[in-house]
Amino acid sequence: MNSGVTEKPTRLPGAVGLLKLRVTFLRASVLVALALVMASWLFTLGADRAQGVPFFSGETLSRAWDFIQALLGIGSSSTPAFLRLSEWGEMWPLAYKTLAMSVLGIGFASLVALATFMFGARNVMTGELAPYGQRGMGALFLAVRGFFIITRGIPELIWALMIVFMFSPGIIAGAVALGIHNSGILGKLAAEIVEGLDPGPIRALRSAGAGRMQVLVYGVLPQALPRFLTFLLYRWEVIIRATIVVGFVAAGGLGMEFRLAMSHFHYTSVTLILIWYLILVIAVDLAAAGLRRLAR
Amino acid sequence: MRPSARTTLDNRKVLTLILAGAFLWGLLQVEWSRGVFHAGGLAAFGDLLSSIGRPEVSDGIVGLAFREAWRTVAYAVSGLTIALFIGFPIGVIGSGILTGNRWLKALNVGWARFVLAFFRSIHELVWAWLFVATFGLSPMAAVLAIGIPYGGILGRVYAELLQDVPEAPLKALRSAGASEWRVFWHGRLPMASPDILSYTFYRLECGIRAAAVMGFVGLGGLGHQIQLALQDLAYERIWTFMAFLVVLIVLVDIWSSMVRRRVTA
Repeated sequence: MNSGVTEKPTRLPGAVGLLKLRVTFLRASVLVALALVMASWLFTLGADRAQGVPFFSGETLSRAWDFIQALLGIGSSSTPAFLRLSEWGEMWPLAYKTLAMSVLGIGFASLVALATFMFGARNVMTGELAPYGQRGMGALFLAVRGFFIITRGIPELIWALMIVFMFSPGIIAGAVALGIHNSGILGKLAAEIVEGLDPGPIRALRSAGAGRMQVLVYGVLPQALPRFLTFLLYRWEVIIRATIVVGFVAAGGLGMEFRLAMSHFHYTSVTLILIWYLILVIAVDLAAAGLRRLAR
Repeated sequence: MRPSARTTLDNRKVLTLILAGAFLWGLLQVEWSRGVFHAGGLAAFGDLLSSIGRPEVSDGIVGLAFREAWRTVAYAVSGLTIALFIGFPIGVIGSGILTGNRWLKALNVGWARFVLAFFRSIHELVWAWLFVATFGLSPMAAVLAIGIPYGGILGRVYAELLQDVPEAPLKALRSAGASEWRVFWHGRLPMASPDILSYTFYRLECGIRAAAVMGFVGLGGLGHQIQLALQDLAYERIWTFMAFLVVLIVLVDIWSSMVRRRVTA
């Protein structure tokens, strides 16, 4: 890597300088990352040793085996919950609600993202595609980007903890928490799609006198929508996995049941809930993959 | 050209209709009659929001916030190392690039993909709860809970990146007599490594968020402090920890996007 530096710097000063900067920043980043890995493991192992029964001790394997037996109902006198058809039936409405929560969550997120993404795209707001003579666009751009950063930065579970202050427990509270977090993710992705668009058609529309709304409908959406829909379907796969976690707090669907079963040590019910959860995850993965084919 | 252009347009309309219909179906599942807001909920939320401008900044709280932020980073980074050790080898096997024999290849790709899919199917917090139930409140529960699902995600992405490299340079290596292992080491890996590094750094940002909520199952971190402050109705304190979380995530986001821009440029 260093051989390039020993060449005469007079030849390509700009390029060589750039190359040097690139390499050094990356090298510094890799070194920082390695230092972080070492410091983190020192901290983690130190905190582990402070535990009554550390993870790195002889008991870990036997405890894992005990827990797996409890999940499978081995050594228990009653029939495991996942072998009783009535229990499967009782879980079905919860799984159904969980699916509805995920759909509502991605729906809310998409609506917010679709309403805001144009204002988060630099090229449309202040860059080469911005209309002349409109003031305050830079401030609006920064505000929308700030909104994306904050909604995206705070995990859905913490949004849910705050949301239950206001909303009654149920799938709508969970869906709103999922929607807030994912609106930042989808909004940022959509804004980046617009920033990467081919500017030709948009410029042509502008020069023909199209307004902001017409540019959006005829210039941006036809180019950006397929990719946005693909992202949205990918996000749905992530959201279905997160519904159970949001349900811990928002009391909707399988999450609440998981929390109850864990705190009452009904481990065979935990297994049944996890089976239902995996069924939902696989079903959504397959459905999203099928729908993605339509987006192309 | 023309008929195919028309069908894609129709497909997209169908897709939009399906998505809108699904959203309506979701709205019908909500028990609207029970009321969406609970009594006094809006007032409490107003109190919460109105204290956003005056976060608590006493020495004790800020010191605690720094310690918990470091714990969050440490769990995220430790978890990501585990994820690398899971994701890279299983991802290489799952890409099926090292095995020549057709049956062996199908077998290897099959089990590796299955393991990775299983790991990432379960959310990190669910893993965390299962590990806490098994091992108690060891920090290793948090680290494994991040490492296993993230290993599943990294493995799948690495496998796809390794498969997607251009074929021509690999053919050149093969015709020069290189073994499959050497083709991997000197061809595929160097070509895919910018994207691999880039995606791993992106995952670091997600890992910080995942580590922040480990507090929910008793494993500490910034999320735990936010939860405690919410339970105590200590609104000012919530915003202190919230600010630390957002700043931490933004810093990691900036760092990772700087690295990614330089790597893939």
